[in-house]
Amino acid sequence: MTTTRPQTTPAAAPVHRYPRWRSRQLLLGAAVMLAALALPFVADAYTVSIASTAIVLAVLAMSTQLLTGIAGLPSLGQAAYLGVGAYTAALLATVGGVSNGLVQLAVAAAAGAVAAAVTAPLLLRTRGVLFLMASFAVAELTRTIAAQWSSVTGGDDGLHTPPVTVWPGTPPLRSDGYAYLYLLGCFLILVVVVAVLLRSRLVLALRAAADHEARLAALGYHVNRHLFAGFVCAGALAGAGGALLVAAHGYLSPADLGLDMSAMALLAAAIGLGTMRGAVAGAVLVVAVRDLLGTPTGGHAPALLGLAFLVVAYQPAITDRLATWKRSRQR
Amino acid sequence: MTAYAVTALDGLAFGLALFVVAAGLTLIFGVMDVLNLAHGSLYLAGAYLAYLAYLFSHGSLVGLVVALVVGVVVGVGGGAALAAAVRPLTGYGHLHQALATLGIAYLAADGYTVFGGAPVPVNPPNILAGSLDLGRHGYPVYRLLFIAVAAAVALALHLAVARSRYGVLLRATVADPGMAAATGVNTRRVQTAAMAAGSVLAVTGGVLAAPLIGPAPGADTTVLVLSLIVVVIGGASSIGGAGSITGTLAAALLVGLVQTVGVLAAPTLAPFALFAVLLTVLVSRSRTAVQPA
Repeated sequence: MTTTRPQTTPAAAPVHRYPRWRSRQLLLGAAVMLAALALPFVADAYTVSIASTAIVLAVLAMSTQLLTGIAGLPSLGQAAYLGVGAYTAALLATVGGVSNGLVQLAVAAAAGAVAAAVTAPLLLRTRGVLFLMASFAVAELTRTIAAQWSSVTGGDDGLHTPPVTVWPGTPPLRSDGYAYLYLLGCFLILVVVVAVLLRSRLVLALRAAADHEARLAALGYHVNRHLFAGFVCAGALAGAGGALLVAAHGYLSPADLGLDMSAMALLAAAIGLGTMRGAVAGAVLVVAVRDLLGTPTGGHAPALLGLAFLVVAYQPAITDRLATWKRSRQR
Repeated sequence: MTAYAVTALDGLAFGLALFVVAAGLTLIFGVMDVLNLAHGSLYLAGAYLAYLAYLFSHGSLVGLVVALVVGVVVGVGGGAALAAAVRPLTGYGHLHQALATLGIAYLAADGYTVFGGAPVPVNPPNILAGSLDLGRHGYPVYRLLFIAVAAAVALALHLAVARSRYGVLLRATVADPGMAAATGVNTRRVQTAAMAAGSVLAVTGGVLAAPLIGPAPGADTTVLVLSLIVVVIGGASSIGGAGSITGTLAAALLVGLVQTVGVLAAPTLAPFALFAVLLTVLVSRSRTAVQPA
């Protein structure tokens, strides 16, 4: 992140407290996992479909976080690679006749990576807010292509896809509950991949590039090569999210890769304050605000999203000012 | 062949409309260092103003003039409000400012739902609704007038930035705000003025261009992204300099032509063509580096 606000680094924790902190996190993780697993058995179909949407957005939010929170490249265009992956998966299912969800997932991730590699020379010419502009432009152009290339993408009418299968010979996952559990399983696989990635040298170099690019270059690193690799990883992750989108809805249209998708992913990443688990929590929160609160307020979901954007944008400024104010009162 | 000539004229009008909006975006970005993602919403406000004016004045010219005056007021008010909204976020990075303007854009989009979910048609005032014979083809008078007015706006902007006292203050604030403030320039006032001027350009651009790029849900995003492409191609690094207006104009005309002549020549290839233009410009230019703070 390129924010200049003072980082509040906690004092080094005593060694003996570390395991307790660790076990508390594991417990929380297990509780969230259990709740997510139990959801289709206790909740209605509508809630389950919202949870499926949240999983898709969580994958896209992780992809956005890799760029925004880790590499310091604020992206408002990750929906482009989600779209490339989604159309690849959908065409694989309809034209290619491949109903295996895991094959779709792998091919969609590869397609997302290729799309990212093709557009990286363009985008990595820019930094900071210019990257934000350029990534948004790339995403909107991708959406326009999806809308106009109707012989392949079905245009604005979109594509309907058959339900996915998990294993050759097994029946397709027709019910929403099974599809949700399949998405959850794929999500866990992707979480493990991201967790491994976060412990890699690449991510360390990306963090360094975000902190001080010139210094990293002076140390002899090929900064743009590292950013390219990070960008391709983010593209692959978003592409995999696209395959999940198709598996979740059984339908795909250019609207699925519009500004809303990229913006919500960026919002989730910003809520997550640079961490992956924060981005996932942010994605769940954003979908909950839009879909669960949007219905009772009579379709004012855009206004709710707008308020969420404003809250996230002003939160650090307000917190800092409150802290300053409190300090001045104590004196 | 003449079909292409007429479409090229359309491209000129479209490009000039984009120029007026994108010039406002460049101004705000250059002076305030803020990416205004609510810029498309300002355009849409102007376009809906033109729609209301046409509806209530039954297509008289007075309606358009009133809409323009209201547009200037809305632009100044909106710009000042945006400046006030963004100022507390100075020092918290571009991301937070972008998120704030994006939030405002979403709130505005929710407000525009009172106009319904379908595009609303906006016609030019009745006196200007005819068409002029150009060879074998008729061409709408309003578009020709729009081209003339927008070209005049471009010239006025160029002269204001390059020659006037305000232009000097503006360029000084862009080049080095701290130094400008030290020499006695009220940079805060310059910034607010630039934000207001940029917003006025977007809103009045919307009023005038409503018959070209009509008000519809989603038109804010379309206009925003095309303006962003214009700003990126036009050389976002040289903002505020005397060359920036010409750069923005050239980029706007290029995008306008690709979006009209390109679509006529090869409908599916036009978005790819914009991609190609973006790529060529960004790769051929030295890196537009904004070093992280």
